[in-house]
Amino acid sequence: MIRYFARRLAFALVLVIGVSSATLMLTRLAPGDFITESLGTGASQQTIAQQRARYGLDKSIGAQYRDWIAGAARLDLGYSMQYGRPVRDLIPERAANTAILAITALLFATLIGLPLGVITGSRRGGAMAGAIRAASLVLLSMPPLLTSLFLVFLAARTGWLPISGMRSATVPAGGALIDLLRHLVVPAAAIALPLAAMLERLQAQAMSEVIRAPFVLATLARGVPQSRVLWRGALKAALRPVAGVYGLVIGSLLSGSFAVEVITAWPGLGSLMLQALRTRDIYLVAGCAGAGALFLACGTLVSDVALAAVDPRVSEMRTERA
Amino acid sequence: MCRQLFLAAVAAICTIAGAACGSNTTSNATTAGASRSGIPRGGELLVSVRSEPRSFNRHAARDTTTSLVSNLTQSRLVRVNQATQAVEPLLAESWTTEDQGRQLTLSLRRDVVFSDGHPFTADDVLFAFESVYDEKTGSVLADSLQEGGKKLQVSATDPYTVVVTFPAAFAPGIRLLDSLPILPRHKLEGALKAGTFRKAWSLDTQPAEIVGLGPFLLSEYQPGQRLVFTRNPKYFAKAPDGGALPYLDRVVAEIIPDQSAELLRLESGQLDMMTSEISPEAYAPLKRAADEGRVKLLDLGVSRNADAFWFNLKPGAFGEDPRAGWLQRDELRRAISMAVDRKLFADTVFFGAGVPVYGPETPANKIWYWPGLPQTPHDAAAAKQLLASIGLSDRNNDGMLEDAQNRPARFTLLTQKGRPNLERGAAVIRDELKKIGLTVDVAALDAGAVIDQLLHAKYEALYFNADKSDLDPGTNPDFWFSFGSAHMWNLEEKAPVTDWEKKIDELMARQIATLDEAKRKTIYNDVQKIFYEHQPIVYFVAPRIYVAHSSRVMNLTPSEYRPQLFWRPETVAVVH
Repeated sequence: MIRYFARRLAFALVLVIGVSSATLMLTRLAPGDFITESLGTGASQQTIAQQRARYGLDKSIGAQYRDWIAGAARLDLGYSMQYGRPVRDLIPERAANTAILAITALLFATLIGLPLGVITGSRRGGAMAGAIRAASLVLLSMPPLLTSLFLVFLAARTGWLPISGMRSATVPAGGALIDLLRHLVVPAAAIALPLAAMLERLQAQAMSEVIRAPFVLATLARGVPQSRVLWRGALKAALRPVAGVYGLVIGSLLSGSFAVEVITAWPGLGSLMLQALRTRDIYLVAGCAGAGALFLACGTLVSDVALAAVDPRVSEMRTERA
Repeated sequence: MCRQLFLAAVAAICTIAGAACGSNTTSNATTAGASRSGIPRGGELLVSVRSEPRSFNRHAARDTTTSLVSNLTQSRLVRVNQATQAVEPLLAESWTTEDQGRQLTLSLRRDVVFSDGHPFTADDVLFAFESVYDEKTGSVLADSLQEGGKKLQVSATDPYTVVVTFPAAFAPGIRLLDSLPILPRHKLEGALKAGTFRKAWSLDTQPAEIVGLGPFLLSEYQPGQRLVFTRNPKYFAKAPDGGALPYLDRVVAEIIPDQSAELLRLESGQLDMMTSEISPEAYAPLKRAADEGRVKLLDLGVSRNADAFWFNLKPGAFGEDPRAGWLQRDELRRAISMAVDRKLFADTVFFGAGVPVYGPETPANKIWYWPGLPQTPHDAAAAKQLLASIGLSDRNNDGMLEDAQNRPARFTLLTQKGRPNLERGAAVIRDELKKIGLTVDVAALDAGAVIDQLLHAKYEALYFNADKSDLDPGTNPDFWFSFGSAHMWNLEEKAPVTDWEKKIDELMARQIATLDEAKRKTIYNDVQKIFYEHQPIVYFVAPRIYVAHSSRVMNLTPSEYRPQLFWRPETVAVVH
């Protein structure tokens, strides 16, 4: 088992280095740089040359990469050009904001999607199952950009919720936590709704197969109540496909949702990376991409652990391989 | 397990819904009241910015949010009134011009202290100039505070008198000082001496460390969320009734990267104003909101800048490319100016909210715009004749033009991606030129990439913004002089490449050195005429500028220049 985890850790390290290096190179190779973007038109060639030298952008791409990777080995990911702060300081504070959003959205999606999937998967017909199925399809076909715009519009029209941001400028009477929760509703729902629909569809599919499995039929034949069979035995067996994608979902959510974070002005990793890309802040782009890769690697690990938890055959197989 | 899951879900939803339906009010601690002129005092103004500041030090960055922070927390010697274009006193209460415009003597206010109570003197003005010209600092303001590439000489004759000497007679002289924030020597001299001035007051500086002479103090910065400013109780300027300024207690600048969210917040009362104009697409929904009384929509008139179309006129830029023979000809640019229907352009790009422009100034520049400048007619037939005169005609009857060697008349037009006005404008140019047989391939790149191509002269034609920083042409030498870094069509020429550029150089040198405003105007009309005849840049349409604000904002002095409603923040007030 230890060897298995060591292998996964090595894979995560390679993934993080590979992704951040490739991102750094690609951003650096594209025409234009932080200086041309920030000085705009009208700056003299002399000023531009001075500024490039100041940020080390006058070095060759090889030299720049060599310096960066040497720093990264010491956990120094370089300085953000636009913020004038170390990248390793910027990422954790934004990643924490993204994590709050991602975990809330995931919680909502799971709490809504899985039970609904059990309901639709265990019933062949009926108005309720049909309505859930239709709603899921609608939500799945809507991109997060559209969902966030719709929810922001709804919040603006009703005035019930803040449209954007993470906290109010002045802490309201209800306290900071309530303020945070109110700000969370729109972005978390924008991420959670399509995710819930996806989980519902996956769970429904798995459940419809499991309820026809011999062990379920045998349990029912022994007189165990149907609801108990459904929500205990069948649910656990049907969780396998969901557990398989869960880690990937966690990884991608923690990397930040560009569209939702930008539209709802959520100060997370996605909006930070987008801003870094726009300004060609190469070290920050590389840092954000590396963080995203790390989350994805962790997500797949979680996924494997979850899969092993719901299916003992998986853990046995891995132990044998290791 | 299922029941527990459901109960947890219901509980979570109820918590959030309860929170959502809860109190939406914020507690504002204000110094409520009203001035003798009836303008309310106190209250909080919620404005939006699109991006985070890059620094709290104006010398380190030139983005709009950093500029806003500087305008709120720092002050300058003088300010150009964006509404009237007159220069008005700030820290300098008066000034005199001597030596035929070469020398300015400024008398400073004596009653001014920084926000930490330290007195302001001429020493701080000298420090401001030292910082801007410091080579280690590499201030982004350095280029704008030079005349003919030379630094200004500054000295202090006593603690409240400063003498600024220009390298040569310079008519717009005093206007240059509008761009220089006066920073506290007692706080920043150490950084300047240590060569770390540029890094001083970076984003991780504690707001309390930032000391200024501006109307507000930075009190809080939440990365990615907002900047909060509170009134500076030691601010020197007074209201017309003698009362203290600023009127507002607090300004909150929310960081909202997306304009849709920005507009929705404004419409729903969660924002008081934006710090930029609204896009043409946003006009219709905001007009509805204005009709319903939810916001106030202001038409500030025509913009002083129009997006610009130009060819790469650097000699040898096209190397052995056979198209070099016609791509850099005056006739091509004049034909393009004639071929594009400016009314159609205004209707398509700005949804009708634009006026045709034929020269470097728009009607918004009331002092320097010349109504006598000829107006290029929309005439496709005449445009085709002009193109025929440089060897471009339809030789194979396919409706498109070819050169003398039967190669298609085709070029690539570069523009900025993600700017709808530019993208739509480039598409209109492409479609209009197709009607006279010219094939245009539009390529859209990020702003940085476009500027990179411009700097390296690696483009054929560009449709981009070539905004001028000030209305007085004398303050835009980089645009007009052939050696200028904003001489877009051929940057930083060693010597004028063409006779007409040489003539413009001569005229502009005279225009800048002449103190008589009427003479300056006559000379500048001649410059505009030469510009029109050769059209190194073709202008099509200048958009109208619309801004919106909530109905509780008052005492605004709108200007068509950014930040349109907030360039004089100390006088803005809110009903609360």
